[in-house]
Amino acid sequence: MKKKWPVIASELFFLFITILIWIPIYYFVIGSFKTREDIVMFPLSIQADMFSFGNYVYVWENMKIGNAILNTGIITVGALLLTVLVSSLAGYALARIKGRFFNISYQYVVTLMVVPFISCLLMLVRLSTKLSLYNTIWGCILIHTAWHVPFCTFLYTGFMKSIPVELEEAAYIDGCSTFKTYKVVFLPLLAPVTATCCIRSGITIWNDYLVSKALLNSVRTPTLMVSISSFFGEYVSEYGYAFAGIVIASLPITLIFVFLQKYFIKGLTAGAVKG
Amino acid sequence: MKGSKMAWQRKRTITGILFLLPFLAITCVFILYPLYNVIRYSFFEWNGIGKARFVGLDNYRMLPTTEGFWTMAQATLIYAVGVTALVVVAGYLLALALDKTGRFRINRTLMRVMWFFPCLLSGIIVGIIWHIMYNYNSGLINYLLNAIGLESVNWLETYGVTMLAVIVASVWIQVGMCAIIFLAGLQSIPRDMLEAAELDGTNRWQKETKIVLPIMAPSITINVITTSIAAFKAYELPFTVSNGLPGYSTRLLTQRVYFYSFETNKYGIASALSVLLVIVITVVSLLQLIVLKKREDIY
Repeated sequence: MKKKWPVIASELFFLFITILIWIPIYYFVIGSFKTREDIVMFPLSIQADMFSFGNYVYVWENMKIGNAILNTGIITVGALLLTVLVSSLAGYALARIKGRFFNISYQYVVTLMVVPFISCLLMLVRLSTKLSLYNTIWGCILIHTAWHVPFCTFLYTGFMKSIPVELEEAAYIDGCSTFKTYKVVFLPLLAPVTATCCIRSGITIWNDYLVSKALLNSVRTPTLMVSISSFFGEYVSEYGYAFAGIVIASLPITLIFVFLQKYFIKGLTAGAVKG
Repeated sequence: MKGSKMAWQRKRTITGILFLLPFLAITCVFILYPLYNVIRYSFFEWNGIGKARFVGLDNYRMLPTTEGFWTMAQATLIYAVGVTALVVVAGYLLALALDKTGRFRINRTLMRVMWFFPCLLSGIIVGIIWHIMYNYNSGLINYLLNAIGLESVNWLETYGVTMLAVIVASVWIQVGMCAIIFLAGLQSIPRDMLEAAELDGTNRWQKETKIVLPIMAPSITINVITTSIAAFKAYELPFTVSNGLPGYSTRLLTQRVYFYSFETNKYGIASALSVLLVIVITVVSLLQLIVLKKREDIY
């Protein structure tokens, strides 16, 4: 009982800091239901007479946000499926099959993780024009996949190395081929690391700005972040519109996060055993 | 018997190469080939349409003389060092706080969710939110300052202050992720080791610095490297919060790369700048790896 008050005091301090970092979120969420004047005059309060869905209606009608959600969703899901497929196969080969070729390939994977995306962007745009991928959703999906597979392959390799070899040998003795071993023994065990890859890459791809800004026509194929950014650039002082757009754009990921919260935070580090 | 073993091994190698093939193909086309082109064009003078003219190292020699280069270099360095230091220190303290459980303490799952949430938002979104909050006349931060009797600060148009403003916004979005990685490290420390230390009569400070900190060294390495690489790569958030203002004082290397790539037609210089970014990031990660690994060995 002696130590009760210090604990409570430190918890109160912790709570205070937590509330402080949540002020921006509270501010934009309640702001999305208010007019600009009310946001400026009463930034942190909301009363019944201020409350309206006006911003949402305006944003929905003028920002083509439905279209943008659809495009962003297609790109995210497509790129995630491809990333998981490509990097789990590569990870298996790197973790399990011996030889110089595989050692060099592993070095290649690690080196690729360092390359900054923005420095290749100009040449990527030129390349996709040549391959007639410019202004197509496919082009976006392929580019996202390419830039996410190195990290995911790294995670898969690390994770698969931690699976005991005996499991595999048993499958070989029973007469499985390498591919069948991968399919029957490995795939079912890969749920945690796959979750890690999907969470990490999924957030980045959903929130992507540069790829779609450089590659897609923002009128014909709008994506969320490009739409929000250009909309905000046009109506700089209309805070309410910006906030409503932000709430809509973050809602899908937030919902997934809230429902899968238990797996989500665990999944962030599950695959990256020791880094 | 030996022959069949070798045949099996060969078959396995071929299957392995087939497994790797999609990876090699997609990364060669969309990472290696563009990277090769960037390096190649950094030795050319080229406006994108006409013929490229080989100029050797001229683009690199010209880089430091282009307008605002040193301002940019200074800004990039301050931003990267500031963000990395603040994120890692704050993330570590946060992880220590999140790791404590027991009576009278707030539910830690809830706290983890609260602190992690900002990491879900995009750089563009967080940039817009902070840009609005920093507004001189109508922003939230000056409203709060006025409410407690302080003067308004011109967050987005004061030299020095704006850099601080951009760094704070970047820390806000990154600290949760860093803390989660530290937390995983803290939770892997065996409890009986800490209990044994308590029985031996170590005080709290000794326990944190002599036992916990050395065990956490690998996590610190990872967080310092990933945070600083992310800081050198950051584009959307600094761009949306301050757009390089006032007077290019917060314009970072990435913003300059983007500017030269898409808003001028000096592709030779743009490529040389891009190569510079690649070199900076490579050198920073290698240096840290060496220095921090050595530190780990000392412990």
